[in-house]
Amino acid sequence: MHIPDGFLTNRIAVSLDAVSAAGILYSAGRVKLEEAGRKVPMMGVLAAFVFAAQMLNFPILGGTSGHLIGGALLAILLGPMAAFLTMATVVIAQALFLQDGGLIAAGANIFNIGAVTTFGGYAVFRLLGGARNTGRIPAVAGFFAGWVSLLLSAATCALQMALSGAIPLRVGLTAMVGYHAIIGIVEGGLTASVLTFLARVRPDLVDSNSKTRLGIADWIGTLVLVALPCAILALAGGSELPDPLEKLLSVDHAAEQIVDPQKLTSAGRFGGYFVRSVLFVVLIGVAYLASRLARWKRSRS
Amino acid sequence: MRHNFIDRYANLDSPLHILEARTKLLAFTALIVAVLWIPAGNDFAFFAYFFLTAILMGTSQIPLMYIVGRTLVILPFIVLASVAAPWKGIAGLSVLFLRSILCLMLLIMLTNTTRFVELLRGLRKLGCPRILVLNLSFLYRYLFVLTEEVLRMRQARDCRRVCRGPMRGELKLLGSMLGTLLIRSFERAERMYQAMLSRGYSGEFQVLAPRKFTWRDLAFLAGVAFVIFVTFWSGQIAKVWTRVLA
Repeated sequence: MHIPDGFLTNRIAVSLDAVSAAGILYSAGRVKLEEAGRKVPMMGVLAAFVFAAQMLNFPILGGTSGHLIGGALLAILLGPMAAFLTMATVVIAQALFLQDGGLIAAGANIFNIGAVTTFGGYAVFRLLGGARNTGRIPAVAGFFAGWVSLLLSAATCALQMALSGAIPLRVGLTAMVGYHAIIGIVEGGLTASVLTFLARVRPDLVDSNSKTRLGIADWIGTLVLVALPCAILALAGGSELPDPLEKLLSVDHAAEQIVDPQKLTSAGRFGGYFVRSVLFVVLIGVAYLASRLARWKRSRS
Repeated sequence: MRHNFIDRYANLDSPLHILEARTKLLAFTALIVAVLWIPAGNDFAFFAYFFLTAILMGTSQIPLMYIVGRTLVILPFIVLASVAAPWKGIAGLSVLFLRSILCLMLLIMLTNTTRFVELLRGLRKLGCPRILVLNLSFLYRYLFVLTEEVLRMRQARDCRRVCRGPMRGELKLLGSMLGTLLIRSFERAERMYQAMLSRGYSGEFQVLAPRKFTWRDLAFLAGVAFVIFVTFWSGQIAKVWTRVLA
């Protein structure tokens, strides 16, 4: 699910960076207005909770195991804005700590794992009437919120990879959505089960937070922030036009066309290639050793 | 449990470690962007960035095996890409491979040469929203506490149960464990907030003895900018050079 750097086209990665940055700034402003201060340690600790909860694996068929992603659950408990910020924190931390997902691809990952799961899950939960009712309905709505949130997230991920030309849409979409339809059962089951547990033990938590409503303006804002860039991406992301940056710097495309993959791997060139790559590797190794063994002056500053 | 698995080598003392966080954030981001924008077929640029990364890796004194081990997380993606898109051929796939490995190595270098608190300070100074930086710092500080809590809960569960139940029961069990963890996290956050308020929390957090922006940082940034400039224009430079010679 976490896309590393290099797998997305630069255009798609950078535009999703912009989308996610805009989303974070917007929801940061909203959360600050909502409840200054009080939610700050809450979101941080809940981010750590998501991080830690992912250690509790749940075995599924055939040796694979799933764990809670938590986007839908947090959105139900905290409201989608705060949940989005929390999930964005988690994704950034995963990129920085564990190198799960790249730096430039972070926007795409925040979009898939942060925005899509929280807003999607929250929308499903509200549509199924989970917030208004009591009894079994919130649990059922929670199950579908978790399940759908994961499916949507997998679908956007597959779409981005396909637009970048890394993995074709038909293969990617079937594989990702199929796999996550199974994993999603665990996500939905855990979301429902945590909700029923909380309703029994601390009903105040569920009640007080299900009242944080989103106004019409927020939904419009979300649509503008999410749906519009998606449409633009889908239309323009895969196009063959030169990158704005490449255009600006007038990168020489003639040089790229000379390099024909078939020619590169032909037998005649192989010898020269081999020698050159060995030379490169040796040079890189020497550079590493030289700088590693150099006696740097110990400087305690 | 080890408590420093995140920025394990960030407390070493090397020419890279003593740079300011902002410098490293800017330089490594610029390098990653530059690597992503290398046009396919520019072997010289790939070589130049690997050369530079090797020098940085050596300078930082981080054990090589650690970096290599961390780089291996890319492997499933490589396998996936080569299975799903075989028409790209060796050339296309190796470009993808080299690019993602370079980016990953640079990212590993960034996080392992900077203490996390300083990294956050750098992010804040570069204009990252305050709430996000605060979230990250809470995550960093309380991750270990909650992880230990999870390990204790898991141990308690494993002590008390004889065998796995049916799937429904397992889900219910795990759900109540997660719920308990959630409640404890909520309550801990409430206690923390009161403790913070009573100690004069003002909304910004402070770093003891932060590193300062010095001539070293300037020199490092200039060097990185020079390398990026040269590799980006290497095609053009070579062309001009041959024209001059001819």
